Amino acid sequence: MLTFEPYGNPTYFALLGVALLPLMIGILYGKRSRLYETLISIFFLVLTFGGPKWTQGVALIIYILYEVALTWGYAVYRKQHNSGPVFFMTVILSILPLTIVKVTPAVANGQSSLIGFLGVSYLSFRAVQTIMETRDGTLKDYQVMTFLQFMLFFPTISSGPIDRYRRFEADYRTVPDRDKYLGMIQKGVRYIFVGFLYKFILAYYFGTILMPKLQIMAMNSRGGFLDLSWPVVGYMYCYSADLFFDFAGYSLFAVGTSYLMGIETPMNFNQPWRSPNIKDFWNRWHITLSFWFRDFIYMRLVFWFMKHRVFKKPTTTANVTYIINMLVMGFWHGVTWYYITYGLFHGVALVLNDAWLRYKKKHRQSIPHNGFTQVFAIFLTANMVCFSFLIFSGLLDKLWFH
Amino acid sequence: MAKRLLRIFGPLILAAILVFAVLVSPVTFGFKHMSAAKERQAAVSLSPNILRGKHVKEAALGDGYVPFFGSSEWSRIDPMHPSVLAQKYHRDYRPFLLGARGTQSLTQFFVMQNIQSQLRNKKAVFFISPQWFVKGGTRKDAFGFYYSQLQTSEWLSHYRHDAIDQYAAKRLLQMPAAKSDHFINTALQQVADGKSLTGYQRFYLQSRKNMLTQEDQFFSGINLPSRNLARVNQQAQKLPTHYSYSALDSLAGRIGKAQTGNNSFHISDQFYNHGLKQELKKGKLKNFQKNLSYLKSPEYSDFQLCLDQFARLNTNVLFIIPPINQKWQEYTGLSPEMLRQFDQKIRYQLESQGFNNIVDLSDKGNVPYFMTDTIHPGWRGWLAIDQRVNPFLSQKQAQPKYDISDKFYSKTWQQLGPSQLSQYEQTSK
Repeated sequence: MLTFEPYGNPTYFALLGVALLPLMIGILYGKRSRLYETLISIFFLVLTFGGPKWTQGVALIIYILYEVALTWGYAVYRKQHNSGPVFFMTVILSILPLTIVKVTPAVANGQSSLIGFLGVSYLSFRAVQTIMETRDGTLKDYQVMTFLQFMLFFPTISSGPIDRYRRFEADYRTVPDRDKYLGMIQKGVRYIFVGFLYKFILAYYFGTILMPKLQIMAMNSRGGFLDLSWPVVGYMYCYSADLFFDFAGYSLFAVGTSYLMGIETPMNFNQPWRSPNIKDFWNRWHITLSFWFRDFIYMRLVFWFMKHRVFKKPTTTANVTYIINMLVMGFWHGVTWYYITYGLFHGVALVLNDAWLRYKKKHRQSIPHNGFTQVFAIFLTANMVCFSFLIFSGLLDKLWFH
Repeated sequence: MAKRLLRIFGPLILAAILVFAVLVSPVTFGFKHMSAAKERQAAVSLSPNILRGKHVKEAALGDGYVPFFGSSEWSRIDPMHPSVLAQKYHRDYRPFLLGARGTQSLTQFFVMQNIQSQLRNKKAVFFISPQWFVKGGTRKDAFGFYYSQLQTSEWLSHYRHDAIDQYAAKRLLQMPAAKSDHFINTALQQVADGKSLTGYQRFYLQSRKNMLTQEDQFFSGINLPSRNLARVNQQAQKLPTHYSYSALDSLAGRIGKAQTGNNSFHISDQFYNHGLKQELKKGKLKNFQKNLSYLKSPEYSDFQLCLDQFARLNTNVLFIIPPINQKWQEYTGLSPEMLRQFDQKIRYQLESQGFNNIVDLSDKGNVPYFMTDTIHPGWRGWLAIDQRVNPFLSQKQAQPKYDISDKFYSKTWQQLGPSQLSQYEQTSK
């Protein structure tokens, strides 16, 4: 049976174009057919999770039923009660499958878990966020069908961007007027074509052609200080370029396709390489993920620490939370020393960055601020990030332990 | 609305039409020319893309390169390697090495399909590996790796309705690679059944061929590996300025001696250390080839495809039959009797059809520094081959007279035992 990686080859895009055409004509004439949208969603989900990958498909169905039971149950419960332990229990239960999937390879010699499937992390983010907003009371009108559409929205199911229930619902319930929709089509088509450039030309060059060569060179040049060599430096930049173009390319496909379906899925990248500091970087890199972490981990922890007066100084609260926040992100990538180190590295970087900004504010007169320092800041940030991606890449693991 | 939609989708549709038009059009876009440097690089690159493609080979063979068909031996580049000698001593010919680990007769037959005009009435060298002629013949995965839809569609555009092409189609259909294109697969079935292709099939094959030809023109020259050319240049520096057989022979012996110190097989140290040493320590290799036979194999008929193709194109071919490192052969228990019979059988297939240019080195397995490893020639072996290759290619040769026989496509021939050979020669004349 035909089966695809999402956005993996020309045939996928051809099918996408054909499937979206009736839907687009519909929206242009002010109509949204729920039935048709559901049908093509199912079609593309079967293409992604069917055939030889059917075990993943079964895992997805069971997982979705489980999350529906949790969110629906909690929404019904929340109408009458609001107990802390029940809320925590629900959140823990909703991330339980993700936790199992992430921990299994670490304890079972790299074996992947049976209950895993492509996109399990991104669906967990959406489910947890739905539960948290239900608790906050900002999400009052939970609907099972909307939740299903939100979770199973096929353009973004495999790797985000991570939308929010209420934002998605607002788009989904309305039909954009013709003028606005034409603008969305224009943007969507442009995004998809920039995505082609990113993913199939640039990421292919860096990731498929250049990177394996650099890796062999790096492995052959071992023996020096910490087994480091110039090829390792080359690999660092090459890996960073591949990571960016591959993921930004994918995100552009996902956002572009959403736009064509009349849904304004939020953007994932906003020129991250021009960030003057690491904090700004996280506002521009994998935005929907870092904002999710900001809203549902960082902010919540800060409030909790403040409410319980755990730390005297607000800066300590912020610093501790940065570290915890980034460590959780590291663990989320997988339970290996290099992902966790990567998280810790960014946590520490955020702490240092805050300290520097405070220092700079205090000594505004004596610290120069001009074009040169601006360029230097961007250069420094980009290189710091590339270094963190070298840790993230796992090459050091291969250099040192294999 | 229509205007705005046109603004959005107009360029997209136009681009799609243009790309499609470029791909299916039979026009060559100024890619005919190829720089000498690129040809030099491609000729020794041993890149699978070059083997699968057309454009680079076509250009180089048109510029005085001679096809050297074979397999893994071409990668054994030392100072006496044919490419090194031809470059160093400014021979009139330059080898274009075709083949790498895993390429056998069937692959080479398809490789010949889109360089036919470069083979017609020309010369070629063909290196036969006895190791190809094992019970199962060519490995399906290796064939799949070198399989080229371009070559297959080219062949399907000029195949003939005879036993040869029917055999080729049947053989190809046994390979999983044939299924990579649904339409090509059905066309192959029709050829195998002796049926003609429909007009629609021919149209499809023609468009597919144009598309793959354009793709090959645009992309096959990109990113050519340059390592082998560097090795050729490096090895050439070790040679004396003027050619003298005796000087080269003693140089080959000296280099061979210097590079084979650490084992009793006279195998190059590098090759020996690279895995063989570990395997030998386990002791599993002693007598492991005791029951191996090169006498019964579908490869004999696949090889006949190549002979047929040469005969059709009137190509004058020099065949090389290499020996096996005798010390290795004795250690692994490979039967010398079987090897002698293999030589007899393959020579019968060649000579009975008029292929008389044969460099038979099968009895040279015990000449010191003849083989660089277990089965591949090196140093003095390459030099011995050069002794025949150089005059064959540099001097004018008599036109060969081929007398092709379809009997070599039969199961009987593929499976013919050694004792039956002399009787077969008598009865099937």
